[in-house]
Amino acid sequence: MADNPVSEELDRLIHERMRLGIVSALAAEERLSFGDLKAILKTSDGNLSVHARKLEKAGYIKVEKGFEDRKPKTEYCLTPIGRRALELYIDRMDALLNEAREALERT
Amino acid sequence: MSIPTQQDQQEAKETLAFIRRTMESASTFSAVSGWGLIASGIVGLLAAWLASMRVNPAELQIWIPAAAVSVVIASGANAIKARGSNTPLWSGVMQRIAWVMAPALIAGALLTFALHGQGASQLLPGMWLALYGAGVTAGGTLSVRAVRWMGMAFLVLGAAALIEPGLGLAMLAVGFGGLHVAVGFDLVWRHGG
Repeated sequence: MADNPVSEELDRLIHERMRLGIVSALAAEERLSFGDLKAILKTSDGNLSVHARKLEKAGYIKVEKGFEDRKPKTEYCLTPIGRRALELYIDRMDALLNEAREALERT
Repeated sequence: MSIPTQQDQQEAKETLAFIRRTMESASTFSAVSGWGLIASGIVGLLAAWLASMRVNPAELQIWIPAAAVSVVIASGANAIKARGSNTPLWSGVMQRIAWVMAPALIAGALLTFALHGQGASQLLPGMWLALYGAGVTAGGTLSVRAVRWMGMAFLVLGAAALIEPGLGLAMLAVGFGGLHVAVGFDLVWRHGG
């Protein structure tokens, strides 16, 4: 998709599948723990940590660390910036399909 | 404006489907209603109290209606929670949860009639708790951690009641009453209802 102007407008940060999964899950559920996200996305601790850190750095998600029953607990939630980024990303995907449909109708 | 290629279209479709699936999984992940579990727990406690007044604590005339009422209440509460979060109640994940729980629950129903027919009613509480625990533990792999832990706790209670059938009624009260109420409050607290 790299040579296509339509796809060039996509947010590269969440175009990556795991990061898109994190943002999508947090758009549906206000707050998810590290363990819950890992189970939903069926991924490893390391993979989830790496991608979550990138999203946190970009301000797309917020990380809250605390303790529960004296055990460390990490929870994630989506920021307004992250929600907007996902909305724009979905809009671009929809637009791409519409453009393809219109092109098909013209031929 | 360049025309999106066939590959672009396919990728876009797959990506949108992935987003939909992930959002559905995340929503269904906490689709078990905490209020439904609390209500089921209260039914369980009432049933245990009624059973304590009978000679046979595993009285089917008490526990079968109690189970039926609990299923109706829990299903209704799940439906209300799903509607509140705009999640389809009978989503793909919900169907998978039902499928993984069904074998243990059906086995429980069959064993209930077999053991009751053979006059081994003292084993019913342990068997109910253990098989319900097996079903919930399996279904809980698609839900929040609290549900998985609840399933395992039921297995432990079932084991205790099978080893020492005299503890059957107490284990039923702790499991179907106390555990449901406790985990229900946990879900309400953490997952909003």
